[in-house]
Parts: sequence; C-alpha cells; structure tokens
Amino acid sequence: MEPGVLQASDWGFILANWDTLVLGVVVTVLLTATSLTLGFGLGFPSGAIEVYGDGWLANAVSTAGIVLRGTPIVVLIVLFYFTLPLPRIGTVPVIDIQLNAFIAATLALGLRSAAYQGQVFRGSIQSIGEGQLEAARSVGMTKLQAIRHVVFPQAVRRSLPGFQNEFTIVLKDTSVAFAIGLAELLTRAERLYLQPGRDTAVIEVIITISVIYFVLTFTTNRALDYVHSRYAIPGGTQ
Amino acid sequence: MSLLRVDSVDKSYGNEPVLHDVSFGMDRQQVEVIVGPSGSGKSTLLRCVNRLTEIDSGEIYLDDEEIHTVDENELRRRVGMVFQDFNLFAHLTARGNITLGLREVLGLSKPEAEAKADDYLDRVGLADQAESYPAELSGGQQQRVGIARALAMDPELILFDEPTSALDPELIGEVLTVMEDLAEGGMTMLCVTHEMGFARSAADTITFLDEGRIVERGPPEQLFESPEHERTETFLGELTGLHQ
Repeated sequence: MEPGVLQASDWGFILANWDTLVLGVVVTVLLTATSLTLGFGLGFPSGAIEVYGDGWLANAVSTAGIVLRGTPIVVLIVLFYFTLPLPRIGTVPVIDIQLNAFIAATLALGLRSAAYQGQVFRGSIQSIGEGQLEAARSVGMTKLQAIRHVVFPQAVRRSLPGFQNEFTIVLKDTSVAFAIGLAELLTRAERLYLQPGRDTAVIEVIITISVIYFVLTFTTNRALDYVHSRYAIPGGTQ
Repeated sequence: MSLLRVDSVDKSYGNEPVLHDVSFGMDRQQVEVIVGPSGSGKSTLLRCVNRLTEIDSGEIYLDDEEIHTVDENELRRRVGMVFQDFNLFAHLTARGNITLGLREVLGLSKPEAEAKADDYLDRVGLADQAESYPAELSGGQQQRVGIARALAMDPELILFDEPTSALDPELIGEVLTVMEDLAEGGMTMLCVTHEMGFARSAADTITFLDEGRIVERGPPEQLFESPEHERTETFLGELTGLHQ
C-alpha cells in the first residue's frame, strides 16, 4: 500500500498507541508551562526595566532581547543542549524524558518567550497615559506605589492579548525540541511511524497530533478570552 | 503670613525660557486665578508648586517651608492637583480613585477610606456614581471625581490646571459650581482657567501671565475694569468676548 493513503489499520494503530501520544501531550504541556512561566518571570520585569530603568541594566535587557528575538528557536535549543554544562541527571520516570534536554528546551523557549513577553509588556506600560502616573504622584504616592497600583494593573490587562499569542507560539514551538530528541508530542509521534512497517501511518499520525495541537491552543485561547473579558475595565476599550 | 509664596522663580525647557522672575504670594482661603495666552507658562507654574516640574532657580514656600526642603511626596499630599484631562485611574471605580491615595498615602483602613470617599463623592454630587468606572462617566462627572480625589487628601492648597478646558460647554457649569462651592467653603485654590465668569465671581486675585512673566496682578475689578497694561485689557477682553 502507498503511504499517504488514509487507511483503517493505521487509525487502529494510533488508537492502540494512544498512551504514547498522551505521554507526548503531557511533556508538551509541561514544557509549555515551564517555558511560559520562565518567560513571564523574566519578561515581565524586563519590560518594566526597559521603560523605567536606565543605564547598563536597561541596555543589557534591551540587547539580550534583540539577540534572543533575532535567533531561530531551533538554533537556541540545539545551542543550549550541546553547550550548556547541564549534567546528564538522568531520565524522568513515567514520562520518560532526559531531564537535561527538558531543561535546555525550557531555557531556550523560556528565554526567547521572555524577549517577546517583555516587548508586549513594555508596549502596554507605555500605552498607559503619563497623566495617570502624575495624578498618582500628585496625591503623594511614590513612583513605585504609582507604578504598582496604577500602571501595572492596567498594563497587565492590556498585555493579555499579546500573552495569548505568546502562549500559542510557545505551545506550538515546543515541537522544535524534536531537534534534541526530547520526547514531546512530535518526537513521540515520529517514533510511532518509524516503527518497522508503519511508514504507511505518517499522515494519520501527523493529522492526529495536528488536531491535538489545535485542541490545546483553541481551548486555552478560549479560556484566556474569558479571563480577558472577566477582568476587562467596564466601559473601557480594553 | 502667606500660605504660598513664590519668589523669583525661573524655569526653562532647554533653551526655551518658560518662567522668568515670577514672584507672588497667596494667603489661606484665597482664590487666585492665573490667566494668560497659551504657552505663557501658566501650567508650568502650577506644576512647579507641587514639584511635578522642578524650577531652575528661585524659591517656593508653603507655609514658610521651602518646598525643596520637604519630602516631595509629603508636599504633594499637602498640595492637591486637578488636571485638564482629569487623569482618573481608568481601572478603578470613582470610589476606588479616591480610596487609593487615602489607603496608600494616609494609611486609612479600607472601611475608613471608603466612608471618606463616599462623603467626598456626595459633596461633588456623585453619591450615586461611586461604583462607576471613569469610562462610564461624562467628562463633567469625571472632573468632579478628580476634584473629590484631590479634596479627600485634606490638602492645604489645591491647584487647578484648566479644569474645564477639556469639557463640552454644557458640562462646564457643573464643575464650576463645585469649584465655587469650594471657594466659598474657604479652600485655598490656585487656578489656571479661561473661565472669566468664575474668575470674576470667585477669585480674590487675578494674575495675568504672558511669556513667562507676570504682567499684572490684582483683584478682578481692577483687571477687568481698569487694567494698567494694554496687553491685559486686550487679552481679558478677548476672553470675555469668547466666554459670555
């Protein structure tokens, strides 16, 4: 039989190996979560530093962002995997992945995401009128109080659509960890159709994981839409 | 004893002089209106008083304390400000706009702050809008919240920076009414405004500022009826003509 023709036995093969794909989803979701968390943890302050900081720190943050945004993600992952002195700590039980590969992938996806989330947040901060900051200072609040209580709560709301994009991008880009053999969804899918005599299942496997990626991004985006409307400022455009 | 004394203040932005040798004083419970063409330095002068803008030279005294020797946050707590564009905190309700400063700066508890906020909202006629967000309010209502926000901090002096200039004509009256009530209640007010009706009725003193210098200063009758300078007469004449 020609590979590429959809056939019932290949769908049956996928069903029989559903547990492999579930483990792949678990790794993909974990990697997305750790990368986005790292990206937020570094991106949020770096956006604020780019607006409010001065001197070497703001320069360093800005330069790091330019480099990270200017490097292909696959290059970052491979670079981190082979150059960072990550001890080969071993494999994680149950989900069966190399911990050092997972850490390298988290660092690459997380730092790259931080570089983009930082820009999202920087733009949101800058979109909050200077007048509100002045009004807060005019009742005697310190600059820090004004930023914390007036600028940040609004900037975070305005950042949500940008974070939503970032979530989708990071989730899909976890598949790039394929390049270092990390057993996330795409890598595990590949292992399925590389089994002897299973090359006929390539298209069925790829369609299946595409649907899985779609369901993951779609449902999470819907959830974030809800968060966005839930915390929207009444009467406002945001 | 003057509450506010501005002494030989100079200020420039780069090479552009904005204020030149400006001196005046005002007592407690006085209402002073500053008028002048756009670009004459009126807003800059106000902003120098609460140090949103720093002066280049000269001195400014609040209650006989030079303001640059006072902590800037403490100074701003004592000197309220009302802005042309209201500058309400967009993510907070009318009540929240007032309680934020009360809680963060004065350290009031939440119930205390809310009770005080509601009291001030009532004073500006907005008791029923406490839960509304700025975007749900008209410009006039927003500005009244802005005034309540400044008042609630119990300032010794309030600066008004063209408080009605961004308002539709039909909304100006409600804001001026609040300001007139404040003036009658003995609040010390330093106002930049083009509302000559308000200047005539509420001001104790009018200062005419042009190109960063005080051209003329005196009670409203004097400036409106018998100004010493032709420039004052021309300018006030034009404004009065515009705002009948």
